[in-house]
Amino acid sequence: MVRRNHLFSPFWLVLMLLPFNLWAKTQEFTLTLENHVFTPSELKIPANEKVKLIIHNKDEVAEEFDSFDLNREKVLFPGKKTRIFIGPLPEGNYEYFGEYNPTTARGVIVVEVNNAD
Amino acid sequence: MSIRVILIILLSFSKVVLADGVVVDKVYHPYVLPNEKEFEWRLMSRQTDNNTILGQRIAYGQSLSETVMIEGYLVGEKTEVEDFGLQAYEVEIRWMLTEQGELWADWGMLFEVEKMHKSNDWEVTTGVLFEKEFGRTSLTLNLFGIYEWGKNLQDEIEMEFRLKYRYRWLPQIQPAIEIYTGENYFGIGPAFMGIQRFDGQKQLKWEAGFITEVSNSGKDHTFRLALEYEF
Repeated sequence: MVRRNHLFSPFWLVLMLLPFNLWAKTQEFTLTLENHVFTPSELKIPANEKVKLIIHNKDEVAEEFDSFDLNREKVLFPGKKTRIFIGPLPEGNYEYFGEYNPTTARGVIVVEVNNAD
Repeated sequence: MSIRVILIILLSFSKVVLADGVVVDKVYHPYVLPNEKEFEWRLMSRQTDNNTILGQRIAYGQSLSETVMIEGYLVGEKTEVEDFGLQAYEVEIRWMLTEQGELWADWGMLFEVEKMHKSNDWEVTTGVLFEKEFGRTSLTLNLFGIYEWGKNLQDEIEMEFRLKYRYRWLPQIQPAIEIYTGENYFGIGPAFMGIQRFDGQKQLKWEAGFITEVSNSGKDHTFRLALEYEF
């Protein structure tokens, strides 16, 4: 006999997928990757706010953005802009690097209470 | 919707299904990376008063797009009545539904089809994958609906729920608590995962956990181990 329950009903699935921050305004910040170097190498963002990081990979090869501090890992396709959502974060320095060029492609996100950039 | 309400609903469902399989396996994260390829090996050893069940899986997976990954498994098991041997084949698809960090939580889906090696028995799984960051900790939830049918199986729908609450301490050592429910089973125990990066996209991930069944009397411990090499 087949037993059924209703946990997978469309109602529950739609409810779970609702974007809870649908109306929130997210600040955008930009990084550029060129010649395997992130610019600016130090980027300041506000504390306790979610922000959108736009990374423009101007190189002709892919890179992979990686940060254990930020808990993010994302492929940056060549010639493309990639968005990465980070935060809300407490004050501090959060390091990141490019997996394919870890010696040159490095940077830090500085999270401050009073945003400067 | 409160996570607590979801948990209460899921835990209550875990009590109403029959036991015919192993619940402790792996808590899936809802993320997919493009250009990713991986080999995976999983070990599961369940020891009770009466017997020991040993399960192993080897798998190859690769991403098909920026949001979809496919993985094929060979499943081996030793049960109380059978020596260790190939038991089943499985194909699994993971689908990342939302960009990490964009919404209040991150969501994904999982689809699996499994066929027994020696018999015409099948299992289809559909799952919802959830992850939410709380500072340096992450809560990961999996909810699976499983439909089984075949020559030797009674047609039935089962529910399984898995939870991992992880502290991202160091890349190599991320301690966690894991909970597994389903098939008249409620297990909880310590676990950890870690990652070691090599050149480029190459990295080795490991997970281990020691889960104890707490809803029934008697000994019932499960040790699980998973290694993933991504390249």
